[in-house]
Amino acid sequence: MFWVRFDPTRPDVRFWVRLLGPRGIVWCEMVLDTGSSRTVLDERLLARAGYDLIAAPKATVATANSRVEAKIVTVRQISALGISADDFPVLAMPLSQPLGVDGLLGLDFLRRRNLFCNLEKGILLTLPFSRGFLQRLAIFAQIFPAL
Amino acid sequence: MGEIRPEPIEQIRQRYKGEWLLIKVTSHDESGLPKEGILLFHSPDREAVYEAVDDAFKRGENELLACFAGPLAPEGWEVVLSVLGAV
Repeated sequence: MFWVRFDPTRPDVRFWVRLLGPRGIVWCEMVLDTGSSRTVLDERLLARAGYDLIAAPKATVATANSRVEAKIVTVRQISALGISADDFPVLAMPLSQPLGVDGLLGLDFLRRRNLFCNLEKGILLTLPFSRGFLQRLAIFAQIFPAL
Repeated sequence: MGEIRPEPIEQIRQRYKGEWLLIKVTSHDESGLPKEGILLFHSPDREAVYEAVDDAFKRGENELLACFAGPLAPEGWEVVLSVLGAV
């Protein structure tokens, strides 16, 4: 089980994300966005981390009120909230200057584990998927005291 | 010249509110998250900090942290972020 605290009084829920790039490790901050089907990173950060955006395939992205172009970049490894994914495709887009984060953690990343969130207390925990009854029981036994 | 000592990441963020920061990570907490670091660069301009990432890697740094020491959006703004799909 991985758990982390966040400030429940803030209007957003953001976490540290570890990116392994061709040039080294870059930690950045991303917003938890369960309304986003894909994970998004600022294209300039990806470029500085050593990823080639020129050769990356293009994608058309639908946002809440518009359609924009993005690149699809496969990052070597992305880790956050106890979840780690290798060779993970992210959308590379420019994020506007007033926005104080480097990206969005979308459902494509989050659905790799069970996600439990107490928005009142500011606690988020992730757990691996369980198959057997006893394993589920053990997970519930961990969740209740933590939340 | 004295050696620059690492300090808690949160302490650096408090000192440079409203700016983008580039920090060399020097230690992690029990969850593996960045705990302490050394401030390498700060600027109100996001692009300038990303450029500093480039310079730091060229100097041989291998674990950096780039972040904004402030709110998701300026006061009075509301934010709608979601990417609904991509083809």
